[in-house]
Amino acid sequence: MKISQKWLQNYFDTLLPSAEKLDDVLTFHAFEIEEASGDMLDVKVLPNRAADCLSHRGIAKELSAILDIPLKNDPLRSDVGTYDVPTSLKVEIEDPKKCLRYMGGVVKGVKVGPSPAWLKEALEAVEQRSINNIVDATNYVMLDIGQPLHAFDAGKLEMKEGKYAILVRGAKEDEKITTLSNEEFNLNSGALLITDAHSGGAIGIAGVKGGKSAEVTADTTDLIVESANFEGTSIRRTAQALRLSTDASQRFQNRPSPELAAYGMRDVLTLITDIAGGEVIGVVDEYPASPERSREVSVTLEKINSVLGSDFSNIEVEDALKRLALPYMVVNDTFTVTPPFERTDLTIPEDLVEEVGRIVGYDRIPATELPPIFSTPDQTRYRGIERMRDQMVEQGYTEVSTQSFAKKGDIALANPLDKAKPALRTSLEQNLQEALAQAKYYAPLVLAPNEKPKLFEVGTVFPKEGEHIELRMTERVVAWGDKADVVDNLSVAKLEDYGKEYEPKRYELGTYKPFSVYPFITRDIALWIPEETEAREPERIIRENAGELLVRLDQFDRFEKEGKVSLAFRLVFESMERTLTDDEVNGVMEKISAALRAAGYEVR
Amino acid sequence: MSSPGRLHPITVAIREMADIFGRMGFGVVQGPELETEHYNFDALNIPEDHSSRDMWDTFWIKTRESEEKKVLRTHTSPMQIRWLESHGAPTRIVVPGKCFRNEATDMTHEAQFYQLEGLAVDTDVTLAHLKGTLERFCKEYFGSDAKVRFRPSYFPFTEPSVEVDVWFSAQQKWLEVMGAGMVHPKVLENAGVDAEKYQGFAFGLGVERFVMIKYGIPDIRLFHSGDIRFNYAFDEKKV
Repeated sequence: MKISQKWLQNYFDTLLPSAEKLDDVLTFHAFEIEEASGDMLDVKVLPNRAADCLSHRGIAKELSAILDIPLKNDPLRSDVGTYDVPTSLKVEIEDPKKCLRYMGGVVKGVKVGPSPAWLKEALEAVEQRSINNIVDATNYVMLDIGQPLHAFDAGKLEMKEGKYAILVRGAKEDEKITTLSNEEFNLNSGALLITDAHSGGAIGIAGVKGGKSAEVTADTTDLIVESANFEGTSIRRTAQALRLSTDASQRFQNRPSPELAAYGMRDVLTLITDIAGGEVIGVVDEYPASPERSREVSVTLEKINSVLGSDFSNIEVEDALKRLALPYMVVNDTFTVTPPFERTDLTIPEDLVEEVGRIVGYDRIPATELPPIFSTPDQTRYRGIERMRDQMVEQGYTEVSTQSFAKKGDIALANPLDKAKPALRTSLEQNLQEALAQAKYYAPLVLAPNEKPKLFEVGTVFPKEGEHIELRMTERVVAWGDKADVVDNLSVAKLEDYGKEYEPKRYELGTYKPFSVYPFITRDIALWIPEETEAREPERIIRENAGELLVRLDQFDRFEKEGKVSLAFRLVFESMERTLTDDEVNGVMEKISAALRAAGYEVR
Repeated sequence: MSSPGRLHPITVAIREMADIFGRMGFGVVQGPELETEHYNFDALNIPEDHSSRDMWDTFWIKTRESEEKKVLRTHTSPMQIRWLESHGAPTRIVVPGKCFRNEATDMTHEAQFYQLEGLAVDTDVTLAHLKGTLERFCKEYFGSDAKVRFRPSYFPFTEPSVEVDVWFSAQQKWLEVMGAGMVHPKVLENAGVDAEKYQGFAFGLGVERFVMIKYGIPDIRLFHSGDIRFNYAFDEKKV
């Protein structure tokens, strides 16, 4: 949710602290800030607070609690106002489970035009585009208090016997609608529509986006203003099916209270008549869900401290509740809170524990070690598997980890990421063969010249009989005899005795040394040295003259003949920045040969 | 006899983590990678069609109409339910294992990664114990000057929920490393544990992320590429 600091400031007489400070206090007591630039803070509102905090009012309320500064005026605590019931509008809801409330306000004689500067600036500050004064008013109130709103051009609806009629109904199979952005959508029967009951035509996708057919334009004079509450699941399914996520759908799918609709209607009608003139004829309020009874949630001081491991006092808890402006009663250390309608997230004692914890601050929670425990679960299978791994390593095998997706398999993904690999592997064999081919190529970089790579993997495979953990190696372990297989099912192997007392080997690793994405080049060099020469000496000369492109040097052969010793070395060259050329490496080799000759050795 | 091979760095890390938590009384258990919708979501208080499901980009398995819906587990948390159902409370476990998220890969995101879940349930386990446990873990894993701090967060299966940051002295900054919290009473009840009597904490850390921070690895995609150069990109010393 993009929040403008200037907009927030409207809520306070006290000057708000700097953006850095706001970022800091919100991060540690409420929400992370995804981005801050100039006046704008992008607040990552948590899903459980999306019902009330996808709004400037919601964020202002949080800051009021965290910083302990009062709100100048809380729009959700002030009088919601009353309106006449207009004779010119009828509203009907087909399924009260999907539309919990529908308020329709009738406004006559508005003058559509550009918004005043303050409104344009406010919307632009949160990266919204100004359209015209009517549309801007609905967007502003939504961003201010969180209630999605919509204005229809009443003149584009049919009137019969002096009445407009709105019907909130399910879409017919394959019903079409063109939205305000001129996109045509084919709807499924699950989608909820706002329709003109007289013409039967759709004028909006409920809770998602308005329709083109009743768009407010420069010629519009009469409005029907919608402030409604649509059920979250239905909106979520429609928005997902249409791949159309909007400010409205995001709010409805988080189930704000239907009570909020009345505040939205009040604020938007006030703003419209302020900036576009006109007269409010009245408001229809279809509220089949009827106001929810206020729920009470209780928690004891003892519960708070026993969950948090804290030593908060009654006074601290009361202070947190007061700052959050949560109405409460306290009797014998039991706090009974009656959450205001917009706090739909507060339903169980643990919710209150969290409120107190985050407002007082998690830095006040001590770090306490767990007491000793006298029984730990049986870990023999884990240890048995680790022992198998250690055995493989001891036999010279290197462990690889590969991807679980495969070209073919018994179990298919409904939504693969890589279309070429839509199934789950049934065996590690294919991946291991590919890894081996790669390993053979890279072997000179990581293994001595007389060693060839042997690989193993321990991983889950998914044949149709069900998943199991497979151990597979690229070749048989010679020491295990002719009958040893290259594969084992570690989910059923008898590892109980094998793992029982086993302590898996532990390794300390050094800092990661990146390897090059460019090809390497190998060169061998052999030389005769006098028998009495220190073996390290030729190696030192090679390193000294090879420069930084030499990434590996192995001596791989040595024999003696007629008082002389023959040594053979393999050199591996590689650059982190580029592909080396043969000429370049030949140059280095000539330099090395020359240096070895100069030291009196015979290069063969 | 050839010279020994090398373990994969993830194996090395999981062993080290298991050891540290083992000293605090946690045992290692493992669970399936192919999960039912029930264990991966519903039992963890993440109902169908709830916006909180958007927190996980999920790989769904092709199933028939009549079959229970299955997913590649998006986290190791389903083992909280499976383990409590079969073993009850009190308990302390860590669950290392591969998890899957259907999201585009880049230097810090992989569709397949390892998570290590932690769960401690008893009559008197608190958020302070969570802090103490994670602080000790981070000191032993990263070094004695590591510190942890909590920030408010939200997960459907914990209440309160926190985001955990670690002070990483080598970079002189706080790094976000995992989500955690007190097990939601509904989760305990869903697993058949008396939530009036027992409470507990849970956390889920990304193993690759910890390894990347500890050893300075720039790209998560190096881990599961099957490339043996990755195994040899570290000096290795037996402990």
